[in-house]
Amino acid sequence: MEKTEFLRNLEDLIEANPGSLTEKSVLADAAGWNSMAVMGFIAFADEDLGIAPAPKAIMACRTVADLMALAGI
Amino acid sequence: MTHSPLPFQGQTILVTGASSGIGRAVARLLAHQGARVLLGGRDAERLEMEAKALGPERAVGVPMDLVDLDGACQWVGELVQIHGPLSGIVHSAGIRSGVPIRMLKQAGMTRMMAIHVDVPLGLIKGFRQRRPGGLPGAIVLISSVLGLVGSPSEVAYCAAKAAMGGVVRSAALELAAEGIRVNAVAPGFVESEMLSAFRKTLTEEQFAQIVARHPLGLGRPEDVAQAAAFLLGDTARWITGTTLVVDGGYIAQ
Repeated sequence: MEKTEFLRNLEDLIEANPGSLTEKSVLADAAGWNSMAVMGFIAFADEDLGIAPAPKAIMACRTVADLMALAGI
Repeated sequence: MTHSPLPFQGQTILVTGASSGIGRAVARLLAHQGARVLLGGRDAERLEMEAKALGPERAVGVPMDLVDLDGACQWVGELVQIHGPLSGIVHSAGIRSGVPIRMLKQAGMTRMMAIHVDVPLGLIKGFRQRRPGGLPGAIVLISSVLGLVGSPSEVAYCAAKAAMGGVVRSAALELAAEGIRVNAVAPGFVESEMLSAFRKTLTEEQFAQIVARHPLGLGRPEDVAQAAAFLLGDTARWITGTTLVVDGGYIAQ
């Protein structure tokens, strides 16, 4: 998956405005980044990326770039 | 009513989801209580190992990959042709995934409903069509407490299991005159391969909350198997259309 597509999916997931996220965006600053988003990310990772990141590893991510690295993007 | 140590002697019973967890525990219990068990599941190799462990006279693996009503109905017909008439079915095969509403897609929802509603309906239809006239029969669907209460991020699973309750009640009414009983068991969380997989999607805190909702602690597959065998056998000859909750107190709160 390309970085741009990953960002659009993440914006959908946390219900952020299209184009509002960048690799440098801090997850904690996004209103929609919460426990439901973490579960949603797990579902997205499983269905669309074929990986199964641990919730602990997701919650340890500080920025969008960290999430991308975790997802192998 | 007579009480026999082998209450299922002479009966052939289909158990789906028999390669792991609750389905495997049901199959083992029924085999030990005299049944000849058809072990249904997707993992042919594990089914074969389980059948070998139980013994060829007690169990045979019948690999399956059911996704709809018609396919399930046809499959039961094929099984009866090969293995003879069935006395009962325990349907334990299922899928589970935690998907918040914001991430829910039609494909996932359709698959969840197909596995937990369409397939059991097909099994019931096939069982009815192939059941020798006049003989009693029993079907037990393995549901979940999440068919009775809600859970965040599991709306698809909860909806499918709730719909399964509708299948049980309506099928029970429609088939009672034909001597076929239809019931369900609604387990709480039991220590199984499915729970292990689900646990990987949760934080330690989330899993601890689930455990805390079981005053008697998490269950074992054998706890659920006992309930399924009870509903399947003559012990439940006057019970149909019900869902027996086996949950360590999960929904008592």
